[in-house]
Amino acid sequence: MSLMDSILAGLSLVGNLESFLALFAGVVIGTIGGAIPGMSATMAVALTLPFTFAMQPITGILMLLGVYKGGIFGGSIPAILIKTPGTPASSATVLDGYPMAEKGEAGRALGMALWASCTADVISNLSLILFAGFLASFALNFGPPEFFTLILFSLTIIAGVSGRSLLRGAFSAMLGLLLATVGLDLIYGTNRFTFGNPNMMGGLNFIAVLIGLFAIPEILSMVWDPKGNDGTARKLGRNWVTWADYKASFRSIVRGSFIGVFLGSIPGIGAAPSAFLSYSEARRKSKNRDNFGKGEIEGVAAAEAGNNGVAGATLIPLLALGVPGDVITAIIIGAFMVHGLQPGPMMFIMNVDIIYGLFIGLIVSSVFLFFVGSAAIRGFRYVADIPRGVLVPGVLILCVYGVFAVNNNIFDVGVMFVMGWVGYLMMRNEIPAAPFLIAFILGPLLEDNFRQSMLMSGSNPLILFRGPITWFFWGLTAITVVAIVRAGYRATRQLRKREARAADAR
Amino acid sequence: MKLLKFGAVGALALGLASTAALAEYPERPINMVIPYGAGGATDISARTIAEPLGQAVGKPLVMANVTGAGGATGSVAVQNAKPDGYTMLFARVGSHSVNPAMKATLPYTLDDFRFVTVYEINPVACAVRPDSGIESMDDLIAKVNEGGVSFSSSGVGSLLHLAGVMVLREFGVENPLDAATHIPQKGGGEAATAVLNGTATFICTNSSALASFVANDQLKPILITTKEPVVGFDAPTAADLGKPNLHQLVGWTGIAGPKGLPDDVADKWGKWMAEAVDAGDFREKMESRGSVIELMSPEDANAFIKSQYETFRALVDDLGMRIEG
Amino acid sequence: MQNIHRQTIIGGVAILLALFLVFVAIPNWVYAPSNVRKLVLSPLFWPYALALLTLLVGLGLVFTGMRSDERLEPDPAEMPGGFFRLAIMAVIMVIYMAGLPRLGMVWTSMLAFAATAFLVRTRHPKTALICAIVIPLLLYAFFAHVAGVAIPQGLLVRLP
Repeated sequence: MSLMDSILAGLSLVGNLESFLALFAGVVIGTIGGAIPGMSATMAVALTLPFTFAMQPITGILMLLGVYKGGIFGGSIPAILIKTPGTPASSATVLDGYPMAEKGEAGRALGMALWASCTADVISNLSLILFAGFLASFALNFGPPEFFTLILFSLTIIAGVSGRSLLRGAFSAMLGLLLATVGLDLIYGTNRFTFGNPNMMGGLNFIAVLIGLFAIPEILSMVWDPKGNDGTARKLGRNWVTWADYKASFRSIVRGSFIGVFLGSIPGIGAAPSAFLSYSEARRKSKNRDNFGKGEIEGVAAAEAGNNGVAGATLIPLLALGVPGDVITAIIIGAFMVHGLQPGPMMFIMNVDIIYGLFIGLIVSSVFLFFVGSAAIRGFRYVADIPRGVLVPGVLILCVYGVFAVNNNIFDVGVMFVMGWVGYLMMRNEIPAAPFLIAFILGPLLEDNFRQSMLMSGSNPLILFRGPITWFFWGLTAITVVAIVRAGYRATRQLRKREARAADAR
Repeated sequence: MKLLKFGAVGALALGLASTAALAEYPERPINMVIPYGAGGATDISARTIAEPLGQAVGKPLVMANVTGAGGATGSVAVQNAKPDGYTMLFARVGSHSVNPAMKATLPYTLDDFRFVTVYEINPVACAVRPDSGIESMDDLIAKVNEGGVSFSSSGVGSLLHLAGVMVLREFGVENPLDAATHIPQKGGGEAATAVLNGTATFICTNSSALASFVANDQLKPILITTKEPVVGFDAPTAADLGKPNLHQLVGWTGIAGPKGLPDDVADKWGKWMAEAVDAGDFREKMESRGSVIELMSPEDANAFIKSQYETFRALVDDLGMRIEG
Repeated sequence: MQNIHRQTIIGGVAILLALFLVFVAIPNWVYAPSNVRKLVLSPLFWPYALALLTLLVGLGLVFTGMRSDERLEPDPAEMPGGFFRLAIMAVIMVIYMAGLPRLGMVWTSMLAFAATAFLVRTRHPKTALICAIVIPLLLYAFFAHVAGVAIPQGLLVRLP
């Protein structure tokens, strides 16, 4: 069957109103679900799954993909407006999006988030269509040792999001790593810091920690100083993102998209680390470096490109290998199973119409995302106009509902509250929260892959140097660490000089 | 002061609620806890039965995924619920026979639950990579004796963990814990991937979890633990190989309530389930996914789970696999 | 300027945390089976490694804090009644948690909304009160009926 035939077969499958309606509905559900903190893209997909059982296979799967894409974008809306990532992947968007909203540029930040998301989405989808086979076989070369080195490298992101003091960022990361050890041990199944509480055996819920760390400290600082924030009415600004903004950030968007494609095609990493990596790379390369973290639009663009770049690419291991790349695709694979479809290499031969149908649907989904996203921004941006005295308690209630709904567990609400106080203490002491979060995500992966490698090799550490992939990441890590140390050294020297000059002047 | 008043009213409401419970069960929606994540085997099975079951019950079933700790978090939520039949659990082989057999630290035992049914049996299959040079169980055992063989699982105390050990043991490996390395992963999908990318040598898990890999020629099945062969799996059964003990090694899904569940509630569930499994295309759907639908009465379910637990427990004690810390 | 630098204090906290982990928390609350053959595979290995790293970070913070004369940030201004309000907020959270399984999520949320709104001295008390009643109900309607989540109902009044 030629390519043209395949495309036609795919088109005949999805070329009906029902499929497009499902896809559109999916994007709408996802955008709204993603915009509700705690609800998150994952939950939105999980909640939609049962409804797709009754649909045609392709229709149901398209709907779920729409929810996924919409959710990843939707998460950026509350991240920008109320400093609460609607979905873990949009945590990196908070770093610059919220300061922009504070400055009255919420509309611009949201617009850029949408444009970057759609661009990354298109790049990601095209990568899926063009390179699925290649990237999938590449991903199969990733065993535990390769993962270990990749994650070790990813941890260097911490330097990029630490703000002014690298050591405080490192301290924050240590706290995240330590907290991630709570739960059952992977290899022996013994308890670590669980205190016999069954709710802690599964580890602390990631979304509860995330929302506790970002949203609750905002509420507490409002409680500490009710007047301080009330005065600055945050005009959401009629301003919209401009073509010049987009052009200026274009390099970061493309870079972020490819980071997303790469990390997305390797099962097991997910969108949040990708967004952070894209953000820290953009910061390293940008000439507006010093403005990052204070409301730099390029930061928003990079973060959103990084997380949406993952969305299409996670389908690569799913379709080509039948392996879920993250939590969301693990749910979507359930939809394939329900309909008796068996994703994997054979599907490209046996069900080529479905594959191409999905491809067509994915491309259309980027377009839908653009329109639904624009409408959502127009609807949601009035949140910025709500008086803080009403908004803050509202956010509190919303977070409680959302965090409960993630795992139907009241304990998680408690985790959120406690993490809120930890986050508030950190905020008061200018300890950045982002390294905590990155460490909390990557820490368990680092440990597990290290120990799996040791199991494989009978505790021979040389396995961590097997093959070119490990060497590549070891090299990359070394280069990055040297760069960080040099930058730190230079900054200290400049500080010295300035101090010396100040002393002379006195 | 306000709180005190609320407390008093709350107590009053409690009194009312308990008299109201005498009314016809069920008078409101029933919470169904799924102790595993969305899209997993338990979740799909639960949501498939929920449709005909909801019609049989006549009240909505509210499905709630409570994940964590290999099914323990969700199980505990039901263990601690009031035994009024409004909070029920989709119990699974991992959470209710392997886990209790392996973990001394588990906050519940089998006696904390009352099973109302087991409705689904999942055969277990073992598979290897097609290019591994392993064609049969004999090849695998020969490799094990050479050394360097490993198997993946979805975590300590999962069915996959126990299955790998039990199969090796049945095929004459004296101490499987030393002879082969167990490489736990974070979930079932990851466990299959580990065999695909060569991290582990073989995997034993529910046939439905392997079906897509087998259909795509990515994995080669070498053993099925049931008596009957499984469609799509070109491998000998345990019966063919003369290992009847392995018939105990199957996955299952059932429904359980907390310990003190009244008899009339359990009876109602028995009736509903009988209606549900024969309604619509439920049976057909489940069987196309590789499950065997086998409805058990509350008594049969309890006996079945108990005997599987005893088998597993004996093996665990024999090999010193029990987790005490 | 003879006050101890904040960085040093943070470093001190980090060092204390590390020592607490090494001497109290890890030995008591992390369990390792007796048959662990290799140290690197033990459940204890990673926590100890992290504790050690925390200690190093703490020493680094103390050291840089002592060396640096520059005040990295001004002290947060004292806020009249700030600590008192934070304490009240903590109490609200505790009551919220305690109320969820007993009163149900909707009713507890209404109380928490109102309490928080007045704690942050909202300028729109009437709007806040209306929202306190409407928002939890709306959220309930959405989560329970659209999303199909089993929102805790409590013992007092069950919502449809």
